[in-house]
Amino acid sequence: MKYTVEAVLASGGRLGKLSQTSTAGTIAMETPMCTLFTKGGSAPHLSAVMLQRISQVPEVACMSLGSIASHHENVREFGKGLGEFSAMKDKVIFTTLHDATAAVASGKNDKGGVAVWGKGGKMKLDPQLYMKVQEAFCPDWFQALSDGDTDKTCGKKRLLKAVDRTLDFLDDIVEMKNESEVLKTSSLIGAIEGGYSVEERRRSAKETAARPVDGFLIEGFEKGHSSVDLFADEEFMTVLTETMVHLPDDKPRMMDAVWSPLQVIRAFRLGIDVFSSAYPHTLTEKGFALTADYSLPPTSQPAKLELEGSKENSASSGFYVDLNDKRFFESFSPILPGCGCYTCANFTCSYLHHLLNTSELLAYVLLTIHNFEQYFKFFARLRETGRQDKLSELEQSLARQEGGQREDVVR
Amino acid sequence: MAGRGKHALSFKILGECSTSKARASAVTLPHATVEAPVFMPVGTQGTLKGLVPDQLRELDCKIMLGNTYHLGHRPGPDLLEKAGGLHKFMNWDRALLTDSGGFQMVSLLELAEITEEGVKFKSPHDGSMMLLTPEKSIEIQNAIGADIIMQLDDVVHSSVSGPRLEEAMHRTIRWLDRCIAAHKRPSEQCLFPIVQGGLNAELREKCAKELLKRDVGGYAIGGLSGGEEKSDFWKMVKVSTDLLPKDKPRYLMGVGFAVDLVVCVALGCDMFDCVFPTRTARFGCALVKTGQLNLKSKSFAQDFRPIDGSCLCPTCKTYTRAYLHTLANTEAAACNIITVHNVAYQVPSVGGWWPLCWALLFLSCQTSIVLILLTFYFFLPLVLNPVNEICIVYNP
Repeated sequence: MKYTVEAVLASGGRLGKLSQTSTAGTIAMETPMCTLFTKGGSAPHLSAVMLQRISQVPEVACMSLGSIASHHENVREFGKGLGEFSAMKDKVIFTTLHDATAAVASGKNDKGGVAVWGKGGKMKLDPQLYMKVQEAFCPDWFQALSDGDTDKTCGKKRLLKAVDRTLDFLDDIVEMKNESEVLKTSSLIGAIEGGYSVEERRRSAKETAARPVDGFLIEGFEKGHSSVDLFADEEFMTVLTETMVHLPDDKPRMMDAVWSPLQVIRAFRLGIDVFSSAYPHTLTEKGFALTADYSLPPTSQPAKLELEGSKENSASSGFYVDLNDKRFFESFSPILPGCGCYTCANFTCSYLHHLLNTSELLAYVLLTIHNFEQYFKFFARLRETGRQDKLSELEQSLARQEGGQREDVVR
Repeated sequence: MAGRGKHALSFKILGECSTSKARASAVTLPHATVEAPVFMPVGTQGTLKGLVPDQLRELDCKIMLGNTYHLGHRPGPDLLEKAGGLHKFMNWDRALLTDSGGFQMVSLLELAEITEEGVKFKSPHDGSMMLLTPEKSIEIQNAIGADIIMQLDDVVHSSVSGPRLEEAMHRTIRWLDRCIAAHKRPSEQCLFPIVQGGLNAELREKCAKELLKRDVGGYAIGGLSGGEEKSDFWKMVKVSTDLLPKDKPRYLMGVGFAVDLVVCVALGCDMFDCVFPTRTARFGCALVKTGQLNLKSKSFAQDFRPIDGSCLCPTCKTYTRAYLHTLANTEAAACNIITVHNVAYQVPSVGGWWPLCWALLFLSCQTSIVLILLTFYFFLPLVLNPVNEICIVYNP
């Protein structure tokens, strides 16, 4: 993995180039970017063929260990790594510890290791087992084992422990990585911990940056993926800003959180380069469709505006619409006219409402396609807006659109 | 175009087996020309289990089913009419077939009561008493707009015999006349009558002869997927197809196991439907020539072959059994991926065993070939069904 900063923006954030070279060639990416959120190694609800119907799919597939770690022996036997095993051969494979959309039970980590959860239950990963799993998976990038089970309620002692533990794990992993033939070319992503303590964050950032890592994953702000809006708290932004100061410029900074486009802009302006695409998945699971307008000034007419008798949000467009709502029963227009995604080109809100109403699998397939396409499009738009130095305008426009929907954005 | 003819269907035999009654044919419908023998996957509520219509097109599927009972409830005939019919609503431009809704009434509802007027049942949604008459069934099917629609029949379980069975057969004919009279779109939708009569050959003959007096575009054989003995089942199919005219398509309702398909093709049936391939996929089971693979089973954890190495479907080209094993236990995507294979397996010209069978039939094969095929696909079922039972079918 190679990262270079192309431009530092006056309004905060930076534009960069990220490249990944493998035997198959070099993949060049631009930041800010998101990774492809996966479940069990596949895009949620989608076969490989259906994923191809989405445009601008990220080059990096992010695979959390919870649901797949227990299969590591089978993947080892397969011998060609997790990417080829899960029919994602062309993607840059990035393994992370936890699924950003799944609640994680707290208090299960200790000095010996970290717990991850799959459908089969808890799996405790110590550094040795962790590296055994990674060797079987041969990811292009992998997150170092970390204790991110902290949040604002954690006291100094707990945060100290989280940082120490994570650094200890990192030392073990660096040592094992150096001895590993398989992981020699993989990029190691160090985890930055420290909850809401500026002091611990600083220590974690400095110490991690002093070790041979290729990028940083900043976590430890929300225990068990609580889905609180971190940006509602000024302190979060202060802590994050302070953390960034101590990270070197030439390595990418990542956050694996469930974030709406508005939250992504805010985090980007604080210096984050690589994001998750877990947010559109959480909308899909609820029967919601992204309708945020990323153009400046906003021009599109989301489907909901054309409906009569709609409820309180009818006057302003929102981030998303709830297709479970009865008012879509007879709406024969696409979710978002002009969207261009496969779902909007072929199906109406009325049909999607029917599919949700009858709990048909296709509802989630079609919503995944629309929501992913819209979210990926947002990142392209974010880069473009960054180049034009119009981030403040985009942020204001999105903040207006978010309107009354702010409270239940996530989950 | 078929749509402009007397019936919304035209039928052309392309090749016939010299020994059995099997034939290869083309059934031309308003939305597609369907090569038969054909398996029609079931898309109960206006969608085929997580697949988009484009995927079905890519699998060379030309016709699928919708269920009148379900679609009549949700989204309902009024909405479907406003949407311009089910084709437009679900964005499927090829052929559709809808059942009458009667079968679900009897199989799903405890409180169904059948009178001469129709099927009385308690709505599962609001508990009110409702009545599905032949006229109502056709009205809903006219709103759905499928290429082939079915008459409302008086369905009894295949274990029923005696006066109730006889009554059901006669009522089915009376209801057919009401359906024909109520049918408002005969030039766009072809109405099929249904041969009933349970496991009673005499009643089946009587019923078929009555149907022959009516002017219809094709025939269905019903009441035969209720777990009856294979020997009885095949005998009843034979009795029915012996009487039905050669120049119209014959649809055997609710039959979809591979072995049944082969036998019933040999007995002269052209069209089949069954929820089995799609239902079993949702439980993580993939169809192969030797039966089915339960991909949830640990035995596939390190099996790095595709489901079927000879299958050309996207699933077999992309995924290993081992990966599907990890997915099948946890992720919704597994269902879609396995359904693609199972539909490919059953639908002509893509997967599994069917293309072979079809090609041989098309070539107007010699005696031995159908028998060889039958022997091959009977290898496993033989364990359960003694040889003489199969002989009954061929040497009655």
